[in-house]
Amino acid sequence: MTLARIVWICAALAAILFVEGVVSLQIGAYHMSARDIVVTLFQGAAGRWDEMPGDFKSVIFGLRLPRIALGILVGAALSTAGAGFQALLRNPLADPYVLGVSSGAALGTILSMILTPHTAGAMQAAAFVGAFATVAVVYFLGRRGGQLDSATLLLAGIVAASFLSAVIMFLMTTVSGRDLRGMAFWLMGDLQSDPRVDLRWLYFLLIVGIGCIFTTSSDLNLILTGEQEARHLGVNVNRVKLVVYISASLLTGLAVSVSGAIGYVGLLVPHVMRMLFGTDYRLLIPTSAIGGAIAIVLADTLARTVVAPSELPVGAMTAIAGAPVFIYLMRRRMR
Amino acid sequence: MRETFLAGFLRLKMPGVIVGALLGCAPHPGALAAGLTQQQATASQAQDPARTADKAGTKMVTDETGRRVAVPVNVQRVVSLAPNLTETVYALGLEDKLAGDTTYCDTPAAAKNKPHVGAPVNPSLEAIVALHPDLVLATAINRWETVESLERLGIAVYTMDPHTVQDMLESTALLGDLMGAHEQAASLVAKLQTTLEELQTSLRERPLVHVLFVVWEDPLITIGQNTFIADALRWAGAESVIISKQDWPQISMEEVLRLEPEYIVLTSNHSETDTADQVRDLRARAVWNEIEAVKLGRIVVIAEEITRPSPGLVQAIVELAHGLHPEIFGPAQKSSGPEKQSRKSMAVGLVACAR
Repeated sequence: MTLARIVWICAALAAILFVEGVVSLQIGAYHMSARDIVVTLFQGAAGRWDEMPGDFKSVIFGLRLPRIALGILVGAALSTAGAGFQALLRNPLADPYVLGVSSGAALGTILSMILTPHTAGAMQAAAFVGAFATVAVVYFLGRRGGQLDSATLLLAGIVAASFLSAVIMFLMTTVSGRDLRGMAFWLMGDLQSDPRVDLRWLYFLLIVGIGCIFTTSSDLNLILTGEQEARHLGVNVNRVKLVVYISASLLTGLAVSVSGAIGYVGLLVPHVMRMLFGTDYRLLIPTSAIGGAIAIVLADTLARTVVAPSELPVGAMTAIAGAPVFIYLMRRRMR
Repeated sequence: MRETFLAGFLRLKMPGVIVGALLGCAPHPGALAAGLTQQQATASQAQDPARTADKAGTKMVTDETGRRVAVPVNVQRVVSLAPNLTETVYALGLEDKLAGDTTYCDTPAAAKNKPHVGAPVNPSLEAIVALHPDLVLATAINRWETVESLERLGIAVYTMDPHTVQDMLESTALLGDLMGAHEQAASLVAKLQTTLEELQTSLRERPLVHVLFVVWEDPLITIGQNTFIADALRWAGAESVIISKQDWPQISMEEVLRLEPEYIVLTSNHSETDTADQVRDLRARAVWNEIEAVKLGRIVVIAEEITRPSPGLVQAIVELAHGLHPEIFGPAQKSSGPEKQSRKSMAVGLVACAR
C-alpha cells in the first residue's frame, strides 16, 4: 500500500463524484438545458447575479447545489462512521444504526425540535449530545471485566437503539399537528430541508471527524487481526477505540441532525469499498467517505426524479436500492 | 445581502470544489475562517421579501401563523399547497389565477387538471419555482421546512391556519382580499354565514348529540377538542365523546364501548359503492358491532369536505346536522328497523357524495 495508490484511487472516485454532481445538477422537475446550467454557474462564479434569470439562480444556487453539498456531507459522514464501527467491532453488521448512535442523535434532534424550535444550530448541538451520550452509555454497558467486549457492546447498542426508538415514538405521539408531520418526514431521511446552520461549519466538523478516524487507520488494521495481537505490537487499543467512537458519533450526529435517519449507507458503502479495494483501512476510510458521498448524491437524485413532481425521502431510496445490493454482495461473498 | 448569501455559499468546501473545478478557479481558502455568519445571514434573508417589496408593488401582511409576508398588490399567479385552499380559490371563482396545485387537490374535479407540484408534505420546490407564482398558499398540513425554503428563494408564502368554522370564513374573506376579489369573497362569506345562522336557529335548544368522529378506522383515530372538525360538530349540533388535547388522538375500542356514542360519523371518499361498503363493513366488524350506535344503524357517512376548512365545509355541516337530527330535518325514523335506518344514513352520505 503506497500513498500514491491511495491518492490515485481517491482521485478516481472524486472524479466519479464530480461527474455525478454535474449530472445531478441537470436533473430535476425544473427543466434547464446543460448550456443554461454552465452559463448560470459561470455567472454565479463571476458574481454577476443580476444577469441570470431569477429562476435559474433559485434552482441552481438555491436548491440543487445546496442539496448536493448536503448529500455529500451526509454520505461521507455516515459511511466513514460505519467503516469505523465495523473495524472496532470486527463485525460486518456494525453501523451507526445498529449501535444506537443514530437513534440517540435522532432523539436529541427531536427534543430540540420540540423545546427550541427554529433555533439555528440547536438541532446539531442536540444531535451531537444525543450521539455522544448514547456512545458513552453503550460503551459503559459494553464493558465486561474492565475490557470492551465486542459482542456485549453490539448487544448494548441494539438495546439502546430500540429503547431510544421507543422514546422517539412516545414523543411523536405526544406532539401533534404540524411539528409531527415535519418530524415523521425528517425521520425517514430528508435532504430538502435547510439545515439552518452554516454548511461551512458542518463541513469543518466532517473533515475533523474523518481526519481523526484516518489517523487511527494503521492501528485499526492491526486491531483487525485481533486486539491482543495489536496490544503486543504496541497499539494503545483503548485509546484508538475512544478516538474512533467519539469521531464516529460526531459524524453520525452531524449526518442525522441535517438529514434524519438515512439507513444502509454506513453498512453498505464500506462493504462495497472493501470488496473493491481490500481491507486496508488507510485506503478504506477515504474511499468510504467518497463512496458514501457518491451513494447519497445518486440516491437523492433518484429520490427527486422517480416520482416527480413529488419527492421521496432519500432514506426510502437508500433502503430500496441498498438492501437488494447488499444481499447480492453477501451471497456472492459466501459462495 | 443576496451577495453575502451566495458568495458565502460559493465559499463552501464541496460546492466550492464543484463550481471551482467547473470554472477553473480554486475554492476560497478562507472558507472555514469566514464561517459563523449564520445569524446575520438568517436575519438578512428574512428581509429578502421586504426587498422585493420595494421594487414591485407589494404590501406587508402578517399571515395566520404570525409570519410577515410581502404579498404583491396585484396577485396574478397562485400556487396552492393544500386541497382546502384549492377548493377555496375555486369557490371564490379565482381558478384562472391558480397556476398549480397538489396531487391531493381533487375538489372540484377541474382542480385535477391544474399542473401539480407534488403532495402537500413533500412538494417539489423546483416545480413551484417553474410555475413563477406571485404567491404560494400554504396551510398547517404543509411542513415548516417547505415554507422556509420557499421564503429563502424569495417566493411569498401566505399560510392559513383556521382552527374554527368562523376562522375558515375569515380566512376565505382574507384570501379573497389578497387575490383582489374582495366583493366575491364578501358575498360568499355572507351567504355561508347566513346558512350557518339558519342552522343554528333550527338547532336551538336541541341537546348536543354525542358522536364518535372516525378519522381513521384501523388504528382508530379521532379528533381532538381543538380541531376545526370539533367546532364543525358543534355547528351541526353534536359533540365528540372523546375529549383530547391532541389534534388526532389514537384511541382504543374499549374507550369507545365505555363512552357509548349516540352516532358514529365516518367520512366518505366520493364513491357511492364505497360508502355503502363502509357502513356494511363496520356493522360486520367484531367489537364495532358491539357498539350500541352501530347496532341501531346510527352511522352517518359524511362528505370528505367536513375534514377540509374550505367553503364546502358549511354544506358538509348542514348535511351532518340533517343526518344527526332526523327529528328536526327528516322524516321520523322510529318506525323503521335498524337496517332501514342505516340505509337512510347511507343516503345522507350519498347525497353528500353526489354534490
